[in-house]
Amino acid sequence: MTDDRFEELLRDAARTYRNPPDSLPERDAMWAAIERRTWGPGQIFRRTRPTLHRVPAWLGIAATLIIGISIGRASSMLGRHQAPPQHVASVAAAKTVRTDSAVAMPYETETSQYLGQTAALLIALPSAMKGDGADDRLIARAAELLTRTRLLIDSPAARDPEMRGLLEDLELVLAQVVRLQENHSRTELDLINRALEQRDVIPRLRIAVADISAN
Amino acid sequence: MTRSVVAFQSTYRVSEPDLIARVLAGDRIAARELYDAHAGRVYRLAYRLTGDADLAREFTQDTFVRAFSQLPRFRGDSAFSTWLHRITVTVVANAMRRVKRFRERETDLEDVHPLSSDGPGVDPVLRERLHRAISALPDIYRVTIIMHDLEGYTHSEIAEVLGVAEGTCKSRLSQARAQLRAALADLAPELES
Repeated sequence: MTDDRFEELLRDAARTYRNPPDSLPERDAMWAAIERRTWGPGQIFRRTRPTLHRVPAWLGIAATLIIGISIGRASSMLGRHQAPPQHVASVAAAKTVRTDSAVAMPYETETSQYLGQTAALLIALPSAMKGDGADDRLIARAAELLTRTRLLIDSPAARDPEMRGLLEDLELVLAQVVRLQENHSRTELDLINRALEQRDVIPRLRIAVADISAN
Repeated sequence: MTRSVVAFQSTYRVSEPDLIARVLAGDRIAARELYDAHAGRVYRLAYRLTGDADLAREFTQDTFVRAFSQLPRFRGDSAFSTWLHRITVTVVANAMRRVKRFRERETDLEDVHPLSSDGPGVDPVLRERLHRAISALPDIYRVTIIMHDLEGYTHSEIAEVLGVAEGTCKSRLSQARAQLRAALADLAPELES
């Protein structure tokens, strides 16, 4: 094949391969959906971002270190007469452990609450959808949880591969639930149920909640 | 356009950094302006990557929702459009993996939206073979060739969007083209005609 012929084929592909329409379809409807998901009543950015993101990480670490050092010094003062050779190492160890756990705590708390609320919504979904129209409150709740899912996917909470997989599956399912607002069909509901069953989402949710609670 | 209109626009047009600052301050009109300025290109890219109008619309929304939520992290190191298109590619790549996994519709997508037959000069069978070959490319090559050869992005822009070196981008494009040529090799005599 000559280079010219191949270039001609590529130029043709530029015109014909998955060629999008010239103008953006449903520009205003898409904006309305973006606006609702970003600033609407169901969104979570303004409520959770201050605690999750706006507090700088260094502030949490510094506060934890100060608490750790204080506890360590207090411990060393109390234990000075009993075991002087060991207290330096124990203070350092205590400091490290307390730092890690304290930094992880806000994410654990947020993740635990989020998982519990998501499980509740998904369990309630089949009965809530038995009527003719999608339950607006439930869909608004799903939109809120979808936003939180995405925030958690981008947070240290998703460092664990299993948790990340669960969050990604939940993102898909919640996105499907949100779409029920526009297309409340039997097929959409079946797709959601199939997704839930195939991925064992509810059992995995329960296990994840139990794991976090146990920790 | 008359000179007075140009002067009016240049006087009152708000720069993109200003728009971003206003969005960060909670100005939704500024957010809409950003959306209006970029949604068309984001949708085109999503459409080219998915081949599905509904998915392209959904991923365009996802891109902007994510972009607005992550806007405080935008440092302005690259153009806003580059940053936005990077989010688009990520959103589409992640979502398409899940869509394929759940719905097992990977091959059906082509059937839902039949291949276009417009455009003179190329045999429809050959065109379809090329389209299928592009769709079958590994993601890193497919995204590169779609952005470069179909959507007209420069190597520099693609490199920034994908977070790779420009040389890597050129190499991927070369590999993509080589794979397409190989996929069409059995049609070589027809191609020469």
